[in-house]
Amino acid sequence: MKAFHTFCVVLLVFGSVSEAKFDDFEDEEDIVEYDDNDFAEFEDVMEDSVTESPQRVIITEDDEDETTVELEGQDENQEGDFEDADTQGDTESEPYDDEEFEGYEDKPDTSSSKNKDPITIVDVPAHLQNSWESYYLEILMVTGLLAYIMNYIIGKNKNSRLAQAWFNTHRELLESNFTLVGDDGTNKEATSTGKLNQENEHIYNLWCSGRVCCEGMLIQLRFLKRQDLLNVLARMMRPVSDQVQIKVTMNDEDMDTYVFAVGTRKALVRLQKEMQDLSEFCSDKPKSGAKYGLPDSLAILSEMGEVTDGMMDTKMVHFLTHYADKIESVHFSDQFSGPKIMQEEGQPLKLPDTKRTLLFTFNVPGSGNTYPKDMEALLPLMNMVIYSIDKAKKFRLNREGKQKADKNRARVEENFLKLTHVQRQEAAQSRREEKKRAEKERIMNEEDPEKQRRLEEAALRREQKKLEKKQMKMKQIKVKAM
Amino acid sequence: MSTNNMSDPRRPNKVLRYKPPPSECNPALDDPTPDYMNLLGMIFSMCGLMLKWCAWVAVYCSFISFANSRSSEDTKQMMSSFMLSISAVVMSYLQNPQPMTPPW
Repeated sequence: MKAFHTFCVVLLVFGSVSEAKFDDFEDEEDIVEYDDNDFAEFEDVMEDSVTESPQRVIITEDDEDETTVELEGQDENQEGDFEDADTQGDTESEPYDDEEFEGYEDKPDTSSSKNKDPITIVDVPAHLQNSWESYYLEILMVTGLLAYIMNYIIGKNKNSRLAQAWFNTHRELLESNFTLVGDDGTNKEATSTGKLNQENEHIYNLWCSGRVCCEGMLIQLRFLKRQDLLNVLARMMRPVSDQVQIKVTMNDEDMDTYVFAVGTRKALVRLQKEMQDLSEFCSDKPKSGAKYGLPDSLAILSEMGEVTDGMMDTKMVHFLTHYADKIESVHFSDQFSGPKIMQEEGQPLKLPDTKRTLLFTFNVPGSGNTYPKDMEALLPLMNMVIYSIDKAKKFRLNREGKQKADKNRARVEENFLKLTHVQRQEAAQSRREEKKRAEKERIMNEEDPEKQRRLEEAALRREQKKLEKKQMKMKQIKVKAM
Repeated sequence: MSTNNMSDPRRPNKVLRYKPPPSECNPALDDPTPDYMNLLGMIFSMCGLMLKWCAWVAVYCSFISFANSRSSEDTKQMMSSFMLSISAVVMSYLQNPQPMTPPW
Protein backbone atom coordinates (compact mmCIF):
# COMPACT_ATOMS: atom_id res chain seq x y z
CA MET A 1 0.00 0.00 0.00
CA LYS A 2 2.81 2.35 0.97
CA ALA A 3 4.75 1.30 -2.11
CA PHE A 4 1.76 2.05 -4.28
CA HIS A 5 1.40 5.46 -2.67
CA THR A 6 5.02 6.26 -3.25
CA PHE A 7 4.77 5.06 -6.80
CA CYS A 8 1.83 7.35 -7.45
CA VAL A 9 3.65 10.30 -6.00
CA VAL A 10 6.65 9.62 -8.09
CA LEU A 11 4.54 9.18 -11.19
CA LEU A 12 2.95 12.51 -10.47
CA VAL A 13 6.31 14.10 -10.06
CA PHE A 14 7.63 12.40 -13.12
CA GLY A 15 4.65 13.50 -15.07
CA SER A 16 5.05 17.11 -14.10
CA VAL A 17 8.74 17.04 -14.72
CA SER A 18 8.42 15.43 -18.09
CA GLU A 19 5.71 17.89 -18.96
CA ALA A 20 8.08 20.69 -18.11
CA LYS A 21 10.78 19.08 -20.17
CA PHE A 22 8.47 18.51 -23.11
CA ASP A 23 7.48 22.14 -23.09
CA ASP A 24 10.95 22.88 -24.19
CA PHE A 25 10.50 20.89 -27.35
CA GLU A 26 8.74 22.53 -30.14
CA ASP A 27 9.06 19.71 -32.54
CA GLU A 28 8.22 16.13 -31.91
CA GLU A 29 11.38 15.08 -33.61
CA ASP A 30 13.43 16.57 -30.87
CA ILE A 31 11.88 14.25 -28.33
CA VAL A 32 13.69 11.34 -29.88
CA GLU A 33 16.97 13.06 -29.38
CA TYR A 34 16.36 13.38 -25.71
CA ASP A 35 19.23 11.87 -23.91
CA ASP A 36 18.44 8.94 -21.59
CA ASN A 37 21.13 10.11 -19.25
CA ASP A 38 19.00 13.04 -18.35
CA PHE A 39 16.66 10.58 -16.66
CA ALA A 40 19.47 9.01 -14.72
CA GLU A 41 18.78 11.00 -11.64
CA PHE A 42 15.10 9.99 -11.86
CA GLU A 43 15.99 6.36 -12.33
CA ASP A 44 17.85 6.33 -9.07
CA VAL A 45 15.11 8.14 -7.38
CA MET A 46 12.44 5.80 -8.75
CA GLU A 47 14.30 2.65 -7.67
CA ASP A 48 14.85 3.93 -4.21
CA SER A 49 11.41 5.30 -3.78
CA VAL A 50 9.69 2.02 -4.67
CA THR A 51 11.39 0.25 -1.80
CA GLU A 52 11.01 2.82 0.89
CA SER A 53 8.25 4.38 2.97
CA PRO A 54 6.34 7.52 1.95
CA GLN A 55 8.51 10.50 1.55
CA ARG A 56 8.02 14.13 1.29
CA VAL A 57 8.57 15.53 -2.17
CA ILE A 58 9.84 19.02 -2.89
CA ILE A 59 9.76 20.31 -6.40
CA THR A 60 12.10 23.23 -7.04
CA GLU A 61 12.01 25.19 -10.24
CA ASP A 62 15.37 26.73 -10.67
CA ASP A 63 15.37 27.56 -14.33
CA GLU A 64 12.92 27.74 -17.04
CA ASP A 65 14.77 24.99 -18.69
CA GLU A 66 14.81 22.40 -16.04
CA THR A 67 12.95 21.39 -12.95
CA THR A 68 14.82 19.62 -10.27
CA VAL A 69 13.20 17.16 -7.93
CA GLU A 70 14.60 16.85 -4.46
CA LEU A 71 13.41 13.89 -2.40
CA GLU A 72 13.92 13.94 1.34
CA GLY A 73 14.66 10.32 2.08
CA GLN A 74 14.67 8.51 5.48
CA ASP A 75 18.14 7.08 5.16
CA GLU A 76 21.35 8.93 4.99
CA ASN A 77 22.11 6.98 1.88
CA GLN A 78 19.07 8.44 0.38
CA GLU A 79 20.24 11.85 1.32
CA GLY A 80 23.54 10.96 -0.13
CA ASP A 81 21.84 10.01 -3.32
CA PHE A 82 19.99 13.22 -3.17
CA GLU A 83 23.20 15.07 -2.85
CA ASP A 84 24.47 13.20 -5.81
CA ALA A 85 21.32 13.91 -7.63
CA ASP A 86 21.60 17.47 -6.69
CA THR A 87 25.14 17.56 -7.99
CA GLN A 88 24.15 15.64 -11.07
CA GLY A 89 21.23 17.87 -11.64
CA ASP A 90 22.01 21.30 -12.79
CA THR A 91 20.88 23.19 -9.75
CA GLU A 92 22.60 26.44 -9.71
CA SER A 93 21.57 27.53 -6.30
CA GLU A 94 19.84 25.65 -3.49
CA PRO A 95 17.10 27.59 -1.79
CA TYR A 96 17.78 25.95 1.54
CA ASP A 97 21.04 25.74 3.32
CA ASP A 98 22.01 22.36 4.73
CA GLU A 99 22.62 23.93 8.06
CA GLU A 100 19.02 24.79 8.27
CA PHE A 101 18.12 21.10 8.32
CA GLU A 102 20.46 20.09 11.08
CA GLY A 103 17.85 19.67 13.68
CA TYR A 104 15.38 18.10 11.36
CA GLU A 105 16.99 14.72 10.91
CA ASP A 106 15.26 13.37 13.94
CA LYS A 107 11.88 14.48 12.86
CA PRO A 108 11.33 11.80 10.22
CA ASP A 109 12.43 9.29 12.83
CA THR A 110 9.93 10.50 15.38
CA SER A 111 7.21 10.65 12.81
CA SER A 112 8.04 7.12 11.74
CA SER A 113 7.97 5.93 15.35
CA LYS A 114 4.59 7.52 15.66
CA ASN A 115 3.51 5.70 12.57
CA LYS A 116 4.67 2.45 14.14
CA ASP A 117 2.27 2.91 17.14
CA PRO A 118 -0.74 0.65 16.84
CA ILE A 119 -3.94 2.41 15.81
CA THR A 120 -6.72 1.65 18.21
CA ILE A 121 -10.13 1.44 16.60
CA VAL A 122 -12.79 2.60 18.98
CA ASP A 123 -16.18 0.87 18.77
CA VAL A 124 -18.80 3.22 17.47
CA PRO A 125 -21.82 3.29 19.85
CA ALA A 126 -24.73 1.25 18.56
CA HIS A 127 -27.12 4.13 18.08
CA LEU A 128 -24.64 5.99 15.97
CA GLN A 129 -24.00 3.03 13.76
CA ASN A 130 -26.95 3.73 11.51
CA SER A 131 -27.53 0.01 11.26
CA TRP A 132 -31.05 -1.38 11.55
CA GLU A 133 -29.74 -4.79 12.52
CA SER A 134 -28.91 -3.64 16.04
CA TYR A 135 -32.63 -2.88 16.62
CA TYR A 136 -33.69 -6.47 16.02
CA LEU A 137 -35.66 -6.70 19.28
CA GLU A 138 -37.69 -3.61 18.45
CA ILE A 139 -38.42 -4.98 15.00
CA LEU A 140 -39.50 -8.22 16.62
CA MET A 141 -41.86 -6.36 18.96
CA VAL A 142 -43.43 -4.37 16.15
CA THR A 143 -43.83 -7.54 14.10
CA GLY A 144 -45.58 -9.18 17.06
CA LEU A 145 -47.95 -6.24 17.37
CA LEU A 146 -48.75 -6.34 13.68
CA ALA A 147 -49.42 -10.08 13.96
CA TYR A 148 -51.76 -9.42 16.90
CA ILE A 149 -53.65 -6.76 14.94
CA MET A 150 -53.97 -9.03 11.91
CA ASN A 151 -55.27 -11.86 14.11
CA TYR A 152 -57.74 -9.46 15.75
CA ILE A 153 -59.23 -8.47 12.40
CA ILE A 154 -59.37 -12.03 11.09
CA GLY A 155 -60.82 -13.46 14.33
CA LYS A 156 -63.43 -10.75 14.65
CA ASN A 157 -64.58 -11.27 11.08
CA LYS A 158 -64.75 -15.05 11.50
CA ASN A 159 -66.90 -14.77 14.64
CA SER A 160 -69.16 -12.32 12.90
CA ARG A 161 -69.61 -14.66 9.94
CA LEU A 162 -70.36 -17.60 12.21
CA ALA A 163 -72.97 -15.61 14.11
CA GLN A 164 -74.62 -14.45 10.92
CA ALA A 165 -74.62 -18.00 9.54
CA TRP A 166 -76.30 -19.27 12.73
CA PHE A 167 -78.95 -16.58 12.56
CA ASN A 168 -79.66 -17.16 8.88
CA THR A 169 -80.13 -20.88 9.55
CA HIS A 170 -82.45 -20.40 12.54
CA ARG A 171 -84.31 -17.27 11.51
CA GLU A 172 -87.24 -19.05 9.89
CA LEU A 173 -87.85 -21.38 12.84
CA LEU A 174 -87.66 -18.52 15.33
CA GLU A 175 -89.95 -16.25 13.35
CA SER A 176 -92.53 -19.00 13.12
CA ASN A 177 -92.51 -19.45 16.90
CA PHE A 178 -92.02 -15.95 18.28
CA THR A 179 -93.59 -12.59 17.49
CA LEU A 180 -90.54 -10.59 18.52
CA VAL A 181 -87.22 -11.87 17.15
CA GLY A 182 -84.33 -9.60 18.07
CA ASP A 183 -84.65 -6.75 20.57
CA ASP A 184 -81.99 -4.61 22.24
CA GLY A 185 -84.37 -2.93 24.68
CA THR A 186 -83.62 0.58 23.46
CA ASN A 187 -86.37 1.07 20.89
CA LYS A 188 -89.58 2.76 21.99
CA GLU A 189 -91.77 0.19 20.30
CA ALA A 190 -91.48 -3.57 20.57
CA THR A 191 -90.52 -4.30 16.99
CA SER A 192 -88.25 -7.06 15.80
CA THR A 193 -84.80 -5.77 14.94
CA GLY A 194 -84.16 -8.96 13.03
CA LYS A 195 -80.52 -9.02 14.02
CA LEU A 196 -78.21 -10.18 16.80
CA ASN A 197 -76.97 -7.88 19.57
CA GLN A 198 -73.20 -7.84 19.68
CA GLU A 199 -72.04 -7.77 23.27
CA ASN A 200 -68.42 -8.51 22.52
CA GLU A 201 -66.21 -9.54 19.66
CA HIS A 202 -67.08 -13.14 20.63
CA ILE A 203 -70.54 -12.96 22.32
CA TYR A 204 -73.79 -12.35 20.47
CA ASN A 205 -77.31 -12.18 22.02
CA LEU A 206 -80.76 -12.68 20.61
CA TRP A 207 -84.00 -12.03 22.54
CA CYS A 208 -87.21 -13.68 21.34
CA SER A 209 -90.60 -13.13 22.88
CA GLY A 210 -94.32 -13.42 22.20
CA ARG A 211 -95.17 -17.09 22.44
CA VAL A 212 -97.48 -19.35 24.40
CA CYS A 213 -96.05 -20.84 27.61
CA CYS A 214 -92.98 -18.67 27.92
CA GLU A 215 -92.20 -15.06 28.71
CA GLY A 216 -89.22 -15.05 26.42
CA MET A 217 -86.10 -16.81 25.22
CA LEU A 218 -82.59 -15.41 25.39
CA ILE A 219 -80.08 -17.05 23.05
CA GLN A 220 -76.43 -16.35 23.64
CA LEU A 221 -73.79 -17.35 21.08
CA ARG A 222 -70.57 -17.71 23.05
CA PHE A 223 -67.84 -18.10 20.49
CA LEU A 224 -64.16 -18.59 21.18
CA LYS A 225 -61.99 -15.51 21.52
CA ARG A 226 -60.61 -15.75 18.04
CA GLN A 227 -59.75 -12.04 18.10
CA ASP A 228 -57.23 -12.51 20.95
CA LEU A 229 -53.96 -14.07 19.81
CA LEU A 230 -53.09 -15.27 23.31
CA ASN A 231 -56.35 -17.18 23.47
CA VAL A 232 -55.72 -18.66 20.04
CA LEU A 233 -52.32 -19.93 21.20
CA ALA A 234 -53.82 -21.31 24.44
CA ARG A 235 -56.48 -23.16 22.45
CA MET A 236 -53.75 -24.93 20.49
CA MET A 237 -52.84 -26.68 23.74
CA ARG A 238 -56.43 -27.37 24.83
CA PRO A 239 -59.17 -27.46 22.18
CA VAL A 240 -62.47 -25.87 23.23
CA SER A 241 -65.77 -25.61 21.38
CA ASP A 242 -67.97 -22.66 20.60
CA GLN A 243 -71.18 -22.78 22.63
CA VAL A 244 -74.80 -21.77 22.19
CA GLN A 245 -76.64 -21.06 25.47
CA ILE A 246 -80.41 -20.80 25.48
CA LYS A 247 -82.43 -19.58 28.48
CA VAL A 248 -86.21 -19.87 28.29
CA THR A 249 -88.16 -18.03 30.99
CA MET A 250 -91.46 -19.82 31.55
CA ASN A 251 -94.73 -18.41 32.83
CA ASP A 252 -95.50 -19.38 36.42
CA GLU A 253 -98.70 -21.16 35.46
CA ASP A 254 -97.09 -23.06 32.58
CA MET A 255 -94.54 -25.08 34.52
CA ASP A 256 -94.87 -27.37 37.51
CA THR A 257 -92.48 -27.43 40.44
CA TYR A 258 -89.48 -29.66 39.76
CA VAL A 259 -85.73 -29.53 39.21
CA PHE A 260 -84.16 -31.73 36.58
CA ALA A 261 -80.92 -31.83 34.55
CA VAL A 262 -79.34 -34.05 31.91
CA GLY A 263 -75.97 -33.70 30.22
CA THR A 264 -72.37 -34.81 30.17
CA ARG A 265 -71.14 -36.10 33.53
CA LYS A 266 -68.44 -33.44 33.77
CA ALA A 267 -70.89 -30.63 33.06
CA LEU A 268 -73.40 -31.94 35.61
CA VAL A 269 -70.79 -32.23 38.35
CA ARG A 270 -69.76 -28.64 37.71
CA LEU A 271 -73.37 -27.41 37.61
CA GLN A 272 -74.20 -29.23 40.82
CA LYS A 273 -71.42 -27.36 42.58
CA GLU A 274 -72.13 -23.98 41.07
CA MET A 275 -75.92 -23.74 40.77
CA GLN A 276 -77.99 -22.89 43.83
CA ASP A 277 -81.05 -24.99 42.91
CA LEU A 278 -79.19 -28.10 41.75
CA SER A 279 -77.09 -28.18 44.91
CA GLU A 280 -80.15 -27.84 47.16
CA PHE A 281 -82.70 -30.06 45.39
CA CYS A 282 -80.55 -32.64 43.58
CA SER A 283 -78.03 -33.63 46.20
CA ASP A 284 -77.36 -37.14 44.80
CA LYS A 285 -74.58 -37.80 42.32
CA PRO A 286 -75.42 -37.77 38.60
CA LYS A 287 -76.91 -41.11 37.55
CA SER A 288 -76.47 -42.97 34.32
CA GLY A 289 -79.22 -42.64 31.76
CA ALA A 290 -78.73 -46.11 30.28
CA LYS A 291 -82.06 -47.20 31.81
CA TYR A 292 -83.83 -44.80 29.47
CA GLY A 293 -81.71 -45.64 26.46
CA LEU A 294 -79.35 -42.71 26.72
CA PRO A 295 -75.70 -43.08 25.70
CA ASP A 296 -73.07 -43.54 28.41
CA SER A 297 -71.71 -40.06 27.87
CA LEU A 298 -74.90 -38.53 29.32
CA ALA A 299 -75.96 -38.55 32.98
CA ILE A 300 -79.10 -37.38 34.85
CA LEU A 301 -79.65 -35.22 37.95
CA SER A 302 -83.21 -35.22 39.22
CA GLU A 303 -85.21 -34.12 42.25
CA MET A 304 -87.34 -37.27 42.10
CA GLY A 305 -87.75 -40.33 39.94
CA GLU A 306 -91.16 -39.30 38.71
CA VAL A 307 -89.72 -36.23 37.03
CA THR A 308 -87.13 -38.31 35.18
CA ASP A 309 -89.78 -40.75 34.02
CA GLY A 310 -91.97 -37.93 32.86
CA MET A 311 -89.21 -36.07 31.02
CA MET A 312 -87.60 -39.04 29.29
CA ASP A 313 -90.28 -39.75 26.71
CA THR A 314 -89.54 -41.24 23.30
CA LYS A 315 -89.00 -38.01 21.46
CA MET A 316 -86.75 -36.52 24.10
CA VAL A 317 -84.68 -39.68 24.22
CA HIS A 318 -84.42 -39.58 20.44
CA PHE A 319 -83.13 -36.01 20.54
CA LEU A 320 -80.65 -36.77 23.32
CA THR A 321 -79.34 -39.91 21.66
CA HIS A 322 -78.91 -38.51 18.17
CA TYR A 323 -77.31 -35.23 19.20
CA ALA A 324 -75.44 -36.38 22.31
CA ASP A 325 -72.10 -35.08 20.99
CA LYS A 326 -73.52 -31.56 20.71
CA ILE A 327 -75.35 -31.46 24.07
CA GLU A 328 -73.43 -30.08 27.03
CA SER A 329 -76.36 -29.74 29.47
CA VAL A 330 -80.14 -29.40 29.69
CA HIS A 331 -81.50 -27.94 32.93
CA PHE A 332 -85.20 -27.50 33.86
CA SER A 333 -85.98 -25.78 37.15
CA ASP A 334 -88.73 -23.84 38.87
CA GLN A 335 -86.24 -22.66 41.52
CA PHE A 336 -83.59 -21.23 39.22
CA SER A 337 -81.75 -18.25 40.68
CA GLY A 338 -78.41 -18.47 38.96
CA PRO A 339 -75.09 -19.50 40.43
CA LYS A 340 -74.44 -19.47 44.19
CA ILE A 341 -73.65 -15.98 45.39
CA MET A 342 -70.66 -15.86 47.74
CA GLN A 343 -71.08 -12.88 50.05
CA GLU A 344 -68.41 -11.68 52.40
CA GLU A 345 -70.79 -11.18 55.30
CA GLY A 346 -71.89 -14.80 55.17
CA GLN A 347 -75.27 -16.01 54.05
CA PRO A 348 -77.57 -13.52 52.30
CA LEU A 349 -80.40 -12.41 54.56
CA LYS A 350 -83.20 -13.47 52.26
CA LEU A 351 -83.73 -16.17 49.69
CA PRO A 352 -82.76 -15.14 46.16
CA ASP A 353 -85.56 -14.60 43.64
CA THR A 354 -86.38 -17.66 41.57
CA LYS A 355 -87.80 -18.02 38.10
CA ARG A 356 -89.15 -21.00 36.21
CA THR A 357 -86.48 -21.55 33.61
CA LEU A 358 -85.35 -24.00 30.95
CA LEU A 359 -81.62 -23.81 30.18
CA PHE A 360 -79.82 -25.45 27.28
CA THR A 361 -76.09 -25.46 26.52
CA PHE A 362 -75.03 -26.85 23.15
CA ASN A 363 -71.53 -27.31 21.71
CA VAL A 364 -70.96 -26.25 18.14
CA PRO A 365 -69.34 -29.10 16.17
CA GLY A 366 -65.76 -28.64 15.10
CA SER A 367 -64.00 -28.18 18.47
CA GLY A 368 -62.94 -24.68 17.56
CA ASN A 369 -62.37 -25.26 13.86
CA THR A 370 -65.88 -24.18 13.01
CA TYR A 371 -67.19 -23.17 9.63
CA PRO A 372 -70.43 -21.33 8.85
CA LYS A 373 -71.93 -24.47 7.37
CA ASP A 374 -71.58 -26.25 10.74
CA MET A 375 -74.35 -24.02 12.07
CA GLU A 376 -76.91 -26.02 10.14
CA ALA A 377 -76.19 -28.97 12.42
CA LEU A 378 -77.63 -27.01 15.35
CA LEU A 379 -81.07 -26.56 13.81
CA PRO A 380 -82.48 -29.88 15.13
CA LEU A 381 -81.39 -28.79 18.60
CA MET A 382 -83.54 -25.68 18.34
CA ASN A 383 -86.42 -27.99 17.48
CA MET A 384 -85.64 -29.83 20.71
CA VAL A 385 -85.86 -26.55 22.61
CA ILE A 386 -89.27 -25.75 21.15
CA TYR A 387 -90.44 -29.25 21.93
CA SER A 388 -89.19 -28.94 25.52
CA ILE A 389 -91.13 -25.71 26.02
CA ASP A 390 -94.36 -27.39 25.01
CA LYS A 391 -93.49 -30.47 27.05
CA ALA A 392 -92.82 -28.47 30.20
CA LYS A 393 -96.26 -26.93 29.87
CA LYS A 394 -97.95 -30.30 29.49
CA PHE A 395 -96.03 -32.21 32.15
CA ARG A 396 -97.68 -32.17 35.58
CA LEU A 397 -96.69 -34.00 38.72
CA ASN A 398 -99.18 -36.32 40.34
CA ARG A 399 -100.40 -35.72 43.87
CA GLU A 400 -97.57 -37.57 45.56
CA GLY A 401 -94.97 -35.87 43.46
CA LYS A 402 -96.46 -32.49 44.21
CA GLN A 403 -96.47 -33.14 47.94
CA LYS A 404 -92.87 -34.28 47.81
CA ALA A 405 -91.87 -31.22 45.84
CA ASP A 406 -93.62 -28.89 48.29
CA LYS A 407 -91.96 -30.63 51.21
CA ASN A 408 -88.56 -30.20 49.59
CA ARG A 409 -89.10 -26.52 49.07
CA ALA A 410 -90.29 -26.02 52.63
CA ARG A 411 -87.24 -27.88 53.92
CA VAL A 412 -84.86 -25.74 51.91
CA GLU A 413 -86.52 -22.58 53.14
CA GLU A 414 -86.38 -23.72 56.75
CA ASN A 415 -82.69 -24.57 56.45
CA PHE A 416 -82.04 -21.22 55.01
CA LEU A 417 -83.92 -19.44 57.78
CA LYS A 418 -82.02 -21.40 60.46
CA LEU A 419 -78.70 -20.48 58.94
CA THR A 420 -79.61 -16.87 58.74
CA HIS A 421 -81.34 -16.74 62.14
CA VAL A 422 -78.39 -15.23 63.93
CA GLN A 423 -77.79 -12.67 61.20
CA ARG A 424 -81.46 -11.75 61.14
CA GLN A 425 -81.53 -11.32 64.89
CA GLU A 426 -78.55 -9.03 64.80
CA ALA A 427 -80.10 -7.06 61.99
CA ALA A 428 -83.37 -6.71 63.93
CA GLN A 429 -81.49 -5.61 67.06
CA SER A 430 -79.57 -2.98 65.18
CA ARG A 431 -82.81 -1.72 63.63
CA ARG A 432 -84.42 -1.41 67.10
CA GLU A 433 -81.46 0.48 68.48
CA GLU A 434 -81.53 2.80 65.54
CA LYS A 435 -85.19 3.55 66.18
CA LYS A 436 -84.55 4.29 69.86
CA ARG A 437 -81.70 6.61 69.05
CA ALA A 438 -83.79 8.48 66.51
CA GLU A 439 -86.58 8.89 69.04
CA LYS A 440 -84.23 10.17 71.74
CA GLU A 441 -82.79 12.64 69.35
CA ARG A 442 -86.25 13.85 68.49
CA ILE A 443 -87.05 14.33 72.17
CA MET A 444 -83.80 16.18 72.79
CA ASN A 445 -84.36 18.45 69.83
CA GLU A 446 -87.85 19.36 71.04
CA GLU A 447 -87.80 22.92 72.31
CA ASP A 448 -91.02 22.96 74.22
CA PRO A 449 -90.34 21.43 77.69
CA GLU A 450 -93.97 20.38 78.05
CA LYS A 451 -93.91 18.44 74.84
CA GLN A 452 -90.57 16.97 75.77
CA ARG A 453 -91.96 15.63 79.03
CA ARG A 454 -94.96 14.12 77.26
CA LEU A 455 -92.81 12.41 74.65
CA GLU A 456 -90.56 10.99 77.35
CA GLU A 457 -93.52 9.60 79.21
CA ALA A 458 -94.91 8.03 76.06
CA ALA A 459 -91.55 6.37 75.33
CA LEU A 460 -91.37 5.02 78.90
CA ARG A 461 -94.87 3.59 78.63
CA ARG A 462 -94.00 1.80 75.39
CA GLU A 463 -90.90 0.30 76.99
CA GLN A 464 -92.92 -0.96 79.94
CA LYS A 465 -95.53 -2.54 77.69
CA LYS A 466 -92.87 -4.39 75.77
CA LEU A 467 -91.32 -5.70 78.96
CA GLU A 468 -94.70 -6.92 80.18
CA LYS A 469 -95.35 -8.71 76.89
CA LYS A 470 -92.02 -10.47 77.11
CA GLN A 471 -92.68 -11.55 80.66
CA MET A 472 -96.06 -12.93 79.65
CA LYS A 473 -94.48 -14.95 76.84
CA MET A 474 -91.82 -16.36 79.15
CA LYS A 475 -94.56 -17.42 81.59
CA GLN A 476 -96.56 -19.11 78.84
CA ILE A 477 -93.48 -21.01 77.64
CA LYS A 478 -92.78 -22.14 81.18
CA VAL A 479 -96.36 -23.31 81.62
CA LYS A 480 -96.24 -25.22 78.33
CA ALA A 481 -92.97 -26.82 79.31
CA MET A 482 -94.50 -27.97 82.52
CA MET B 1 -109.23 -18.88 11.79
CA SER B 2 -109.43 -20.48 15.19
CA THR B 3 -107.43 -23.50 14.03
CA ASN B 4 -104.81 -21.15 12.71
CA ASN B 5 -104.56 -19.49 16.10
CA MET B 6 -104.37 -22.85 17.78
CA SER B 7 -101.47 -24.08 15.65
CA ASP B 8 -99.65 -20.79 15.61
CA PRO B 9 -97.79 -20.54 18.91
CA ARG B 10 -97.09 -16.82 18.51
CA ARG B 11 -98.85 -14.39 20.85
CA PRO B 12 -98.33 -10.72 19.96
CA ASN B 13 -100.07 -9.67 23.16
CA LYS B 14 -97.50 -11.48 25.31
CA VAL B 15 -94.41 -9.70 24.04
CA LEU B 16 -91.89 -8.74 26.70
CA ARG B 17 -89.03 -6.31 26.07
CA TYR B 18 -85.42 -7.33 26.47
CA LYS B 19 -83.79 -6.31 29.75
CA PRO B 20 -80.00 -6.56 29.79
CA PRO B 21 -78.97 -8.60 32.84
CA PRO B 22 -77.23 -6.43 35.43
CA SER B 23 -73.55 -7.33 35.70
CA GLU B 24 -73.65 -7.06 39.49
CA CYS B 25 -75.71 -10.21 39.68
CA ASN B 26 -73.12 -12.35 37.91
CA PRO B 27 -69.69 -11.06 38.78
CA ALA B 28 -68.21 -14.53 38.39
CA LEU B 29 -69.50 -14.86 34.84
CA ASP B 30 -68.08 -11.53 33.78
CA ASP B 31 -64.70 -11.90 32.20
CA PRO B 32 -62.16 -9.95 34.32
CA THR B 33 -59.44 -10.06 31.61
CA PRO B 34 -59.88 -6.53 30.21
CA ASP B 35 -59.77 -4.98 33.68
CA TYR B 36 -56.66 -6.91 34.72
CA MET B 37 -54.90 -6.12 31.46
CA ASN B 38 -55.75 -2.46 31.80
CA LEU B 39 -54.25 -2.36 35.26
CA LEU B 40 -51.17 -4.32 34.22
CA GLY B 41 -50.72 -2.01 31.26
CA MET B 42 -50.66 1.03 33.50
CA ILE B 43 -48.19 -0.55 35.92
CA PHE B 44 -45.86 -1.60 33.12
CA SER B 45 -46.12 1.88 31.60
CA MET B 46 -44.80 3.34 34.84
CA CYS B 47 -41.96 0.81 34.94
CA GLY B 48 -41.32 1.44 31.24
CA LEU B 49 -39.61 4.72 32.03
CA MET B 50 -36.83 2.71 33.64
CA LEU B 51 -36.87 -0.47 31.54
CA LYS B 52 -37.59 -0.50 27.83
CA TRP B 53 -39.07 -3.99 27.68
CA CYS B 54 -41.66 -2.96 30.32
CA ALA B 55 -42.90 -0.24 27.99
CA TRP B 56 -43.30 -2.76 25.18
CA VAL B 57 -45.15 -5.18 27.47
CA ALA B 58 -47.45 -2.30 28.42
CA VAL B 59 -48.33 -1.78 24.77
CA TYR B 60 -49.14 -5.48 24.45
CA CYS B 61 -51.30 -5.36 27.60
CA SER B 62 -53.34 -2.47 26.28
CA PHE B 63 -53.87 -4.30 22.98
CA ILE B 64 -55.01 -7.46 24.79
CA SER B 65 -57.34 -5.41 26.99
CA PHE B 66 -58.87 -3.80 23.93
CA ALA B 67 -59.36 -7.16 22.19
CA ASN B 68 -61.17 -8.63 25.21
CA SER B 69 -63.25 -5.57 26.10
CA ARG B 70 -67.02 -5.53 26.18
CA SER B 71 -68.96 -3.23 23.90
CA SER B 72 -70.41 -1.46 26.93
CA GLU B 73 -66.94 -0.69 28.20
CA ASP B 74 -65.83 2.92 28.33
CA THR B 75 -63.67 3.67 25.28
CA LYS B 76 -62.01 6.59 27.05
CA GLN B 77 -60.47 4.19 29.55
CA MET B 78 -59.14 2.02 26.74
CA MET B 79 -57.74 4.98 24.83
CA SER B 80 -56.05 6.47 27.87
CA SER B 81 -54.37 3.17 28.71
CA PHE B 82 -53.25 2.78 25.12
CA MET B 83 -51.86 6.33 24.87
CA LEU B 84 -50.07 5.90 28.18
CA SER B 85 -48.27 2.80 26.97
CA ILE B 86 -47.31 4.44 23.66
CA SER B 87 -45.96 7.48 25.46
CA ALA B 88 -43.94 5.22 27.78
CA VAL B 89 -42.28 3.61 24.75
CA VAL B 90 -41.60 6.97 23.06
CA MET B 91 -40.19 8.56 26.20
CA SER B 92 -37.92 5.64 26.99
CA TYR B 93 -36.42 5.86 23.48
CA LEU B 94 -36.04 9.62 23.61
CA GLN B 95 -34.23 9.26 26.89
CA ASN B 96 -32.02 6.41 25.70
CA PRO B 97 -31.98 5.76 21.95
CA GLN B 98 -29.87 2.65 22.23
CA PRO B 99 -31.45 -0.58 21.08
CA MET B 100 -33.16 -2.70 23.68
CA THR B 101 -31.16 -5.43 25.36
CA PRO B 102 -32.98 -8.65 26.21
CA PRO B 103 -33.92 -8.83 29.90
CA TRP B 104 -32.33 -12.30 30.27
